[in-house]
This record gives sequence, C-alpha cells and structure tokens, in this order.
Amino acid sequence: MRRPDELFDGAARALSARLASGMTRRSFLGRMGGAVLAATGGAAVAAAVRPEKSEAFHFCGHIWTTGSCPNPLGLPRIDKNGFPLRPSDGHPIDNLGRAVNSGGWAVDGSGKRLRGPDGELLPRAPRTRLCEEWTHEHYGLDSHMQGAWYRCCGGQIRKLVDCCSPSKKRINGDASLTGYCWGGKRVFCVLYYDSGLKC
Amino acid sequence: MVEAFTPAVCGSRSRRRVALALFALGALVASAALGATLGLFGSLIGTRPALIAAAVLALMTALREAGLIRLAIPQSRRQVPERWSQEWPLPAWSAGYGAGLGLGFLTFQPVATFWVACAAALALGRPALAAACFALYGAGRAFMAVWPLRRQPDGPAAVESLVGRAGLMGRVNAAVLLLVVLLLAVAPAAGAAVTSLGHGFDPAADGKTLARARMSSGNVEVVVVPPAPDPPVPVSNADAPALDGDLLAYADDEGIKVIDWRTGDPVRDIDGAVSEPALDWPLLAYVKDEGSSTRLVLANLANATTRRIASVSSAGDLGRPSLHGGRLAWHRIMRGGSTICVLNLATNDRRVIRKTKIWVEANPSVTGRRIIWVEQRPQASYLRLRWLGSSRTRTLTRVKGRATFLWTTALTGRTAYVTKWTPSTRKSVLLRVTF
Repeated sequence: MRRPDELFDGAARALSARLASGMTRRSFLGRMGGAVLAATGGAAVAAAVRPEKSEAFHFCGHIWTTGSCPNPLGLPRIDKNGFPLRPSDGHPIDNLGRAVNSGGWAVDGSGKRLRGPDGELLPRAPRTRLCEEWTHEHYGLDSHMQGAWYRCCGGQIRKLVDCCSPSKKRINGDASLTGYCWGGKRVFCVLYYDSGLKC
Repeated sequence: MVEAFTPAVCGSRSRRRVALALFALGALVASAALGATLGLFGSLIGTRPALIAAAVLALMTALREAGLIRLAIPQSRRQVPERWSQEWPLPAWSAGYGAGLGLGFLTFQPVATFWVACAAALALGRPALAAACFALYGAGRAFMAVWPLRRQPDGPAAVESLVGRAGLMGRVNAAVLLLVVLLLAVAPAAGAAVTSLGHGFDPAADGKTLARARMSSGNVEVVVVPPAPDPPVPVSNADAPALDGDLLAYADDEGIKVIDWRTGDPVRDIDGAVSEPALDWPLLAYVKDEGSSTRLVLANLANATTRRIASVSSAGDLGRPSLHGGRLAWHRIMRGGSTICVLNLATNDRRVIRKTKIWVEANPSVTGRRIIWVEQRPQASYLRLRWLGSSRTRTLTRVKGRATFLWTTALTGRTAYVTKWTPSTRKSVLLRVTF
C-alpha cells in the first residue's frame, strides 16, 4: 500500500498533467503557474520543471534575448508583487538600491536606520514596481507583469516574468514578440522572482 | 631661443642638455602658475561672462590670424635679456629664460592665441585644471627650443627654416582658433564651475554671505561666513540654517530661533516640534511634526499668522523648504514617488516642477527666477536647474556612483551650493557651483 503522502503527490502530478494537456504549455504556465505552486506545495511543479541547469543570456533561466527591465542594481529581481529586491540575497531595496527594513526605511548592514551628516534619520525613498512604475516612467508605456515561465536556478525554482506592453519594440530596441503576454500585449522586458522552493 | 641652447653657448653638449631641461622646467612652472592664478581669479567672477568673452576673443583673433582684420594685441616687444646668459650661471639663466617665456606676456607675441588661452583659463574657474592646461603652453615653448635643431644643428639656419613656414603656421593657427570658438560655444552648461568649500552641510546663502552647518565635537553648529574682511560667526547647538540679510534662522532642541547673526541678538522664537526653517523676513516657513503627519507651515512673524501649505503622513518627508523672492519651494517624498513644488505667494499659484515615481527629487532652493534641486538615482545624483516658467532642465553638476550623494542645496543669484556627502563615513563637503 502506498503511503498517504505518495498518494497525494501522485494525485497532484496527475492533475497537473491533465491540466497541461488541455491547454498549450505556454498559456498553462503563464496563467496557472502561481496557482500550481500554491496548491501543490511545489512537488508537482518540481516534477514538471526539469532540474537542469539552464543557459542564461544575462541571468540564470533566461534563455531568450529580451533585456532586463530597468532596475536599481543591474538585475531585475523582484518580490511576488513586483517590487525590487537586492539580486545577491533578495533583501528588499528602495529605488535608490539601498536595503530597507519592513517599514521601508533605509538601513545599514546591521539593520540600523541610516542617518544623515547631521545625525538625523534619513527619510524614505520611493519603492515602486519595476514593471508597472519603472518601465512606465522610463518609456511611457502601459506595462504590466503577465506571462511567466519557470526554471531551476541555484537549486531553487525561479519564476521568470514578462513585463508586457502594447509596444511593438522591446527594450532592446528591436521588434517585440508576444511571448507569454496576452490581451494584445507584447514582451517589453523581463524580470525574475526566486521562490525559494527546492528543485 | 633656439640659438641660445647650442653647445657653443652652453659650453658642451651635456651642459646644453642641462640648460634645456632647466629651461623646460622654468617654462612649465611659470605657465602652470599663471594658469592657476587665472583659474583662481575666474572662480571668483562669473563663469558665463568669461566664457562668452573667451569665445568672442577667439573669433576675433581667428580673423586676425587669417588676415581679415587688424587687431592690436597687448604684448611686451622684448626678448629675454641676452646678458643673463653671459653674466649668470647656466642653471639660473636657462631657468629664468624658461620662466620668462612661460609667463607669456613678458616677451614678444607673434600670435594672439595666448590671450585666448588666458580668457579660457578665467572661464574655467578651476585653478588646478587651468594650471595643468597652461603647463602645456610652457611645454610648447620648451619644445620649440629643441625641435628646430633636430635636423639642423646650426641655430641661425634652424631659425631661418622656421621663419619660412610662418605663413602656414598662421593659417593653421586661425583654423585652430575657429575650432576653439566652436568648442566654447557648445561648452556643456556654459561653464558650471564647481569649487569645494570644505566641510559642512545644509548651506544657506544670501548674496555673498554663506551659512553652513557642521559637526563640532559631536554637536551640530552653524557658521555664518560673510564676505571678507568680516570674520566667520559660529552659532553653537544650531542646525539647518536659513539666511536673510543679517537675520539667521536655525533649528535647535527647543524649536526654531531667529537671531541677528552679527550681534547675536534674538529676534523671534518658535518653540515645539518644528524644524527646517526657511526665512524671507517677515515670512518664515518651517516643518512641523504633528505625530501622525508632518506639515509645512508658512508663518508671518510680523502679524503672527500662520498658513498650512502642505502635509504628508509620518512615513513621508517634506524636507527643507526654500523661501525667497515671493516663492516657497519644497519637496514631497512618499513611498510611491517624489515631487518638487513651488508656490507663488502673491498669486497663490502652485506648480509642480518635477514629479516622478522612481527617483528621489529633493531639497529645492528657489529665487525669484530660478529653482535648483537634487535628483537622486541609484547610479548618480544630479544638481538640476530650471528657470521658473520654463520646462527645460539643466544639469549643473553630478556625482556618480553609490558611495557619495548630493543632498541639500542653496541658491543665490547665479551661484548654487550643494552638500556632497558619503553615508558610510557621514562626512560631507559643500560645493559651490557657478553658472
């Protein structure tokens, strides 16, 4: 007799396979990725994502050529809501690239709030979403995070996200593609979110 | 000069080499000193007028070199004293010749380019850089003492060979001067000269008087520096200065004080959780901490009335307002973005000068005609300038990288001041930017 957890994993895997076979891989991954992660606890998704090392053009998992969305520190790492994170360790950062605490105040390496030359605490800097706010302000586009795909990077599942807009040109300057975008939008730039789930 | 540095005059080939080396050294040092002096003088006068004058002078001398106009140039129709080489030791006369030619204006001037270089050094307004540039003039003079003899060891023959090319040199010189005109005309920011004024932060300026805050033995103090010969006036336990003539407003532990900084006499006190004063007597703007929110208040100290101008939640920041020429400027920084605003006190017209959801636009300073502020981005911070009523923004200076930032500002006439500070060390300096 199979153990209860094995039964559960098997059911989740079968459900995922049935859902995937009913839609294209692209649309399934783009629309259902988040729900699958949450519902199955990662086991089914881990099975669907091959634990291979992915070739990257400028960050792991990104095997296409679309450039990164504008960001404070050179790589477009985001949290689940699209706000910037420090690429090296995922610490929340503000729009100036400074590490911030839960209240959004800039802090130093030991977590103390930063002070100005007069010893007074520094004010907060803005902290806004890389796709919806940064891309919009840089390029004047109505941009939104839409499609996503998943890769195993550094032993954990990375979600690569398309920042989609109506623009026929992508951030590289050449023609944009539909990618995993929908509603008439096209891929303008890309971002990524590290889930921390093992693969 | 070519004929002076021959083995026959110097005594031997080795002595000739020594003489040339000392000549070159004298020329370099003298020309660098001249450049430094001109650059220092230029930093004290307006940069833009000097730039325009340099461009006009370059154009006129180009026309002169091309033979299209006649233009007398100031010069001393002398040559270096020949008797020095006969009466002085070799090191002295060779270095002396170099210094005399390196200064430029002590001897005959075949072309007017030297005076264009002087005007450009004035316009540069930076002593060290002007010294380095002018040292090239000295290097050129030293080069011309050596180069003609490379193929023609006979001094007089070498000079004759040079004279034969005078026409070509004149045409080349005219072309170079026209290029100089072009470069001066497109000089970015029309010469925003930047000078460091030493330690300090939170500048405040009124005419030639500058106030700054600085750390002293762990406490913040304000120093008011009037024009020479008046000495600086320190005010202890004071922060965030604001100047209006002889009046100084500053923040301390009790609130805001307004004093006559020349005599130290108190004028007004505002007690409470208030800070960041901006003074244009009898108007005083300040930031008031009301617990859950922060408010920008404009007070009329003559009739004791106050007016609320702006507010943010405690998570936001209204910064250090600026009040001058009938205008009040402030910033508003929130999680979702930042804004620079200006209020015309006479018309009550409120304008947004700059608004962004991604950068930090902060610390404006305003006069009746212009506004400056700092724009902070992750890779650099910029000191921006805009004429009120125009939508065009200029950059006066910038600091690259993440280690050092531009911060608080002050503006008076065509002179801006900005704090440049390093968060990791909390050290700060004041920069003066003339435009």
